[in-house]
Amino acid sequence: MPSALNPHATARLVRKLESIATLTDEQRQAIESLPVRTYDLRARQDIVRDGDKPSHCCLILEGWACRYKVLGDGRRQILSFHIASDLPDLQSLHVPTMDHGLGTLTKATVAFIPHESLRDLTLQHPSIGALLWRDTLIDAGIFRAWMVSMGRRSAFEQVAHLFCELYLKLQAVGLAEHYRCPLPITQIDLADTLGLTSVHINRVLKEMRGRSLITLRGHTLVIEAWDELLRIAEFDPTYLQLEHRAA
Amino acid sequence: MSLRLQPVQVGTGGSDTESLLVFSDGFLVAVLVQLSDEHEETTGMWFLEAGFSPVDHPVPPTFADLDEAQVWIAQRLER
Repeated sequence: MPSALNPHATARLVRKLESIATLTDEQRQAIESLPVRTYDLRARQDIVRDGDKPSHCCLILEGWACRYKVLGDGRRQILSFHIASDLPDLQSLHVPTMDHGLGTLTKATVAFIPHESLRDLTLQHPSIGALLWRDTLIDAGIFRAWMVSMGRRSAFEQVAHLFCELYLKLQAVGLAEHYRCPLPITQIDLADTLGLTSVHINRVLKEMRGRSLITLRGHTLVIEAWDELLRIAEFDPTYLQLEHRAA
Repeated sequence: MSLRLQPVQVGTGGSDTESLLVFSDGFLVAVLVQLSDEHEETTGMWFLEAGFSPVDHPVPPTFADLDEAQVWIAQRLER
């Protein structure tokens, strides 16, 4: 796990926070001087394990990660997907013991920010603390949307809803455009995300292709009929708060 | 415990149509569907399309063959 101090990492954090608020020069400098260390990780590698008491928070710089929980017999539930600019374990700053795992799905570059430094930053700049709080509240909104999907949407509607969400999240950080986005995950990952099986996912994707809603080539998702996919999923992007998130 | 299998066509919306109703003591306890060649490495395997009461499962398994499926269903019924 090679590591290096990386000024670009703090710039990424500045850009993310500036997408939801205006920072003063002093605040920007305080963030840029955080002692961040970056790591290159393999695909399918744990970043933080369930039960760990981490001493730092993780900022994703490149690649995909997910929060997950594993039951005693190996059944896995993916709880959320994370892409560049996300701080998926920000909660560990104030809730010491992890109640789930965080791992990479693809090769990834992540930056670790020591809790101590982040805590000092939020004490000296309460408005930065409020921005980070806001980020965790949006995160909670995404959990609510997933709960509605898993509890009440059909398999077809669930996949449609997830594709709409992923496309908009990726587009907001400049990783997708023209209804085309990377989807570097397997059908088993999708099944473990939506509480389905890979058999169901395979059938849904086949039907979506048959109805010319999407194409999937390699790890690229192309949404061929955006409006129709929105309609099927009853997708309302309010919960993503994107007008304040575009980084 | 003996299980009785009865061939049936299930409308899965795709090409997974060759299926079996599974009865135990006259009661329908499961529906198994043989996966078509659209399922790549699991082609030809048997998927628990539906299970009733003890045979229901939040992550319905896929079985390599019918023997394996029947052993699993029988174990669930004996719990």
